Amino acid sequence: MLDLTKGQFVKHVILHPFEGFEDLRWKKGGSMKIAFAIVCLLFVQQIAYSRLYGFQYYSDYDKIFNIVPYIFKSFILFITWVVANWAMCTLFDGEGTMKNIFINSAYALVPYISGYLIGTVMSHFLIRDEYVFIQSVEIIGLCWSFVLLISGIKAVHQFSFGKTIALMLLTVVAMIAMLFLLVLLLTLFQQVIIFILSIYTELSYRFRV
Amino acid sequence: MSGLKKLISIISAAAVSVTALTANVSALETYDPYSYDRWGDPVASQVGYTAEKYVDGEMIGCGNFYEPADLFISHDNLMYIADKGNNRIVITDLDFNFKKELKEFNYNGETLTLKKPTGVFVDQYTGLVYICDTENDRVLKSDTDGNVDRIFTKPESELYDQGLTYQPSKVLVDKAGNVYVVIKSVTKGAVMYNADGEFLGFYGANRVQQTAEVLANAFWNLISTEAQRERQAKQTPIGFSNFDIDDDGFIFTVTDSQEINTDLVKKLNPRGDNILDSLGVSDMTFGDMPPTYYSIYSKRSSLTDIDIGPSGELNILDFQHGRIFQYDKECWLMFIMGGTGDQLGLFRSAAAIESYDNKLYVLDSRKNNITIFTRTVFGEIVTEAANLYNDGLYEESLEPWRNVLKYDGNYRRAYIGIGNALYNKYEYKEAMEYFEISISRGRYNRAFEGYRDQWLKENYMTCIIVIVALIILLTVYKQLRKRGKIVYPWEKRRKGGV
Repeated sequence: MLDLTKGQFVKHVILHPFEGFEDLRWKKGGSMKIAFAIVCLLFVQQIAYSRLYGFQYYSDYDKIFNIVPYIFKSFILFITWVVANWAMCTLFDGEGTMKNIFINSAYALVPYISGYLIGTVMSHFLIRDEYVFIQSVEIIGLCWSFVLLISGIKAVHQFSFGKTIALMLLTVVAMIAMLFLLVLLLTLFQQVIIFILSIYTELSYRFRV
Repeated sequence: MSGLKKLISIISAAAVSVTALTANVSALETYDPYSYDRWGDPVASQVGYTAEKYVDGEMIGCGNFYEPADLFISHDNLMYIADKGNNRIVITDLDFNFKKELKEFNYNGETLTLKKPTGVFVDQYTGLVYICDTENDRVLKSDTDGNVDRIFTKPESELYDQGLTYQPSKVLVDKAGNVYVVIKSVTKGAVMYNADGEFLGFYGANRVQQTAEVLANAFWNLISTEAQRERQAKQTPIGFSNFDIDDDGFIFTVTDSQEINTDLVKKLNPRGDNILDSLGVSDMTFGDMPPTYYSIYSKRSSLTDIDIGPSGELNILDFQHGRIFQYDKECWLMFIMGGTGDQLGLFRSAAAIESYDNKLYVLDSRKNNITIFTRTVFGEIVTEAANLYNDGLYEESLEPWRNVLKYDGNYRRAYIGIGNALYNKYEYKEAMEYFEISISRGRYNRAFEGYRDQWLKENYMTCIIVIVALIILLTVYKQLRKRGKIVYPWEKRRKGGV
C-alpha cells in the first residue's frame, strides 16, 4: 500500500487532509526540494495576486514596484513560522524536526496558493458582478489550507487536536516577538553603522586639514 | 557615408525643432503648468487660460487702487471694483473705460460714506447695488447714483448672538430678492434677509469635519455630566468665506481653511442642502492635493473666491498659492493657472475672480491690479469637449477629446471621454484600452462586460467545439492511462527501482 513517489505524495497529502500527513510521516515521503519549490510558488502567487489581477478589480498604486513586501509576505513570514513553531514545540515535547515542520507547512499551503492563482486567472474573465465566484474559490483554498495546516502540525508533532491549536496560537505570538526583535535588531545595527560612518567622516575631515 | 550624414542632420534638425517647440510652449507662461493624474500626483499639462495683460487704477483713470477686495461683473457688462483702501466702489466697462465711482451715498437726506468696503454685488433683476460697508457694520442697498434704498444691519434677534460682531464681507441676492451676507464671525452660514430687510435666519452652514477628536468628544458627551459638558469647547464648523450665485439660482460657497476637507466647496439649493453630495464629491479635495509628506514648505490651498462661468464651470481662486483652479460643472478638474510672484499671470494676494465669456478677471489686492486671462486654443477645445460630454453627447465629444490629446497626452479626462464615446458606439475593445490608460476601473469593467458578450456571441460555435473536443480528449487520455499506454518517464524510473 501507498507506494507513492515524492511527487505523488503531495497530491495524496492534499486530497487526504486527515490521514495524509500521518502517511507522509511514516513513509518519509516528504521532499525538501518540493517544499522549497512550493514556498517559491507562494512568492510568485503573492506578486501575481497584486500585479497580474484583472484590471477591473484591484486598485493599488502600481506606478512603482517594490519587491521587498512580497519577499516579506512569502519567504520571511514562512520561515518565521517554521522557526517559531519549532521553538514552541520543544516546550510542548513535540516530535517534529525543523525539516519536517518546513515540509508539512509548505505542503499545507498548496490549496491556498492554487486557490489564489486560479482566482487571479479567473479575474481576467469575470466582471465585478461575478466577483463572488472568484471569492469563493479563494476562500475555499484558504480554508482547505488551514485545515491542512492544523492536520500537518498535528501529525508532525503527534499532538492532540487541542494541543495543536494551542501550539499554533503560541507560534503566532512567537512570530510577532521574533519579528519585533528582528526590527529592533535592524534599527540598532543601523544606528551602529551610522555611528561608525560618522566617526569615519569626522576622522577623514581631520586628516585632510 | 552621405546617407549617415543625412540621417544625423535630420535627427539633429528634429531635435532642434523639438527643443525650440517646447521652449516656445513653456515660454508662454511664467510658470510650469501642471495638472493631477489618477493618483493625485502632479503631471505636466497645459493651461486653459493665459494671462494677457493687467490693468491698474492709473490705466483705468480713476487713480491707483489701494487693497481692492472684490470684483463683480454685472448683467449689463459693467465691472464693479470694491476699492477697500480708498473707501470707494469703482465702476468701469469691460474694456476698462472708467465710468463712475461711488464714494458718497444719499440716505433720506443724510450723506453716508464707506469705510473699507470688501464686497459688492449687483442684482440683475432690479439693477440695484449691494455694498458690504464692512467697518461701518452695514450693508447698503443703493442705485448706481448713490441713492440708498435700505440699510441692513446686525439683526436684533435671539438667533443672532448679540456678542458677535457684524462685519459683512460678501453679499449676494437671489431671484426672490433675498439678501445673503457672509460675516466672518458667524459660523452658522450666511445671514439671510428677505427683500424687506427682515432677518430670516442663517443659510447653508458647513458641517463639522468628522475627525477622531470629534468622535472622542461624542463619546465623552455620553458619559459626562451636564456641568462638564458646559465647560467643554463646542465643536463648530468653519464658516464659508465667499460665495457666488449661478443663473439657475444655486449658490456656490467656498471655505477658506487649510485644515479641513469637508464642505470646502458647496452647491446649495434654496433649502440650503449641498447638492454636490449627490455627485459624491462633497469630501473631494478642491485646490491643490495635500502633500504626501509633511513639509513646512508645502501648504494646503486656501480657497478665497469662487465664480461660476458661462457654461457652469467653477473658477476657484487659491489665495495661498495664487492659483486659479477651474472645474467643470461635474467638478472635474480642468485647468490650473497662476502661481505666486510678480510677473504677469502670478499673484501676490489674489482676492477675487470673475469670468465673462472666455475671459477671467483676477483681482490682486497687493499688486493693486486686475489680471485678464484669455482662454487658449487648448482651453477652447477642452471646454467644448467637456460641455458636450456633460450634456451626454459622448459620441459628438469624441473628436474634440482626440484633439485634446494632441495638445496634452497627460489629460486623463480625454481618455475617459474617448473611452465613453467608443463604449457608446459598441467599440468595447478600443474603449477598454482608453479606460486602461486613464485607470478608470469601473468604466473598464463595463466595457469589458460588453466586450466579453460580443466575443461570446461571435465565437459561440468555436467555444462549444473546443469544450466538446477537450472532453473527448480527456476521456481518451484517461482510458489510455488506465490501460498503461501513457507512462511518464519519472514513473518508469520508480517502477524500475522497485
